[in-house]
Amino acid sequence: MQKDDFSNSYVVEGKLALPYTYFAGRLGSTFLTTLRDQARIMGVRCDKCGKVFLPPRQTCERCLEDIRDKWVALESTGVVVNFTVVRQQDKHLPRKTPYVLGMIKLDGADTPIVHIIEGVDPDKISEGMRVKAIFAPESEPSILLINHFEPAA
Amino acid sequence: MAEYYGVDVADIFNTMKSRFRPEGAEGVDAVFGYDIGEEGKWKLTVRQGEMTLDEGGDLSGCDVLVKVDGRTFVGLNIGKIDAMAALGAAKLKVEGDFNLFAATGKLFTKYVPPGQEVEQEQELVVLKRTISVNQRFATGPVMGTFLKGLKEKKILAIKCPVCGRLQSPPREVCAPCRVRNDEWVEIGPSGEMRMLEYCYYASPDPLTGETRETPYGAIGILLDGCRKDEVFWHLLRPDQLDAVQMGIVMGDKVVHGSRLRPVWSENRTGSINDIRYFEIDQ
Repeated sequence: MQKDDFSNSYVVEGKLALPYTYFAGRLGSTFLTTLRDQARIMGVRCDKCGKVFLPPRQTCERCLEDIRDKWVALESTGVVVNFTVVRQQDKHLPRKTPYVLGMIKLDGADTPIVHIIEGVDPDKISEGMRVKAIFAPESEPSILLINHFEPAA
Repeated sequence: MAEYYGVDVADIFNTMKSRFRPEGAEGVDAVFGYDIGEEGKWKLTVRQGEMTLDEGGDLSGCDVLVKVDGRTFVGLNIGKIDAMAALGAAKLKVEGDFNLFAATGKLFTKYVPPGQEVEQEQELVVLKRTISVNQRFATGPVMGTFLKGLKEKKILAIKCPVCGRLQSPPREVCAPCRVRNDEWVEIGPSGEMRMLEYCYYASPDPLTGETRETPYGAIGILLDGCRKDEVFWHLLRPDQLDAVQMGIVMGDKVVHGSRLRPVWSENRTGSINDIRYFEIDQ
């Protein structure tokens, strides 16, 4: 057999389906149901160091304090601290490319969340830009209860 | 009185009044006797949707008499012990009308020790998803030749020039001899059953994303022309899972397994699924 004989080589198309179950946990469930029922974004605050975490977490990463009950309501406005432009289309993505994924620090929070930013040219977006959350209350309890963020005045 | 699991036997009786469920007592008209060994005796009377409880005294004349030790009684009430297990272990004895005893579960809400009351049940979020990822597999010349063979209803093996070993599905090299395989041999298509894996859990097929029905049989077949452990892996016809006979080789002793033949797909595309499965060759 010759090494460069590729007459019998071909490509097989396939698809990999991965069924899975995602459990949001107690904290994540409270976060999502509050978002759905009250259109409010809730974080948790460490009493000891004052850091406000979003998404919420059980334990303060610095003080190791149990902060699972220390809910605080956050504003639905915030600032873009970082962003990327998604250009490679893939069918599992939530938007048609190009679209912007931003890290957004909400007013009152100390940690950013990742979400979609719309209503701005991907090439014109900048760090420090003010954005606000646009809610989608009808959808199922996931982070997409916030449909996207868009520039705020 | 002693505590079991942090709970007094008397506490369970003393809270019965507040835990009583008239709707659960519908149609129940009976006297229940509880003989909790050293802990004491109680008599529970349920009549027309109401209950009265008397401590101590004579338990004769009860419709049901429950004899149980304090630890088991507490365990049953707080859900630490299963009633059937306790009955089986003779820790719990029921005299009289057993159906009445079985109905006691509905008479009361569950006993919750003080300080362990649960707050309102929280809605927990569970999301079910299926990600589907498109993939492209390049066969390369060796696997390509094998798959092309299947399209033509031929099962091909590749042969090592040094040890003569046959590999199917083929690999470019013979790993033990570290040489490039160079000769194609047609094997089978029928053969002898060697191994059966009875599979109860199926993971998704990476080529189709579909999950096959369980249980299914993954089988190793010694196709005609192959020797020793040169088995070919495929599927068994689902309804023949319990009909096949496995072959065994133990030293010189050989037990022959069922003869199997491939069932080819009508629409062959050059895939391992061009053989739908193997079935018993009669």
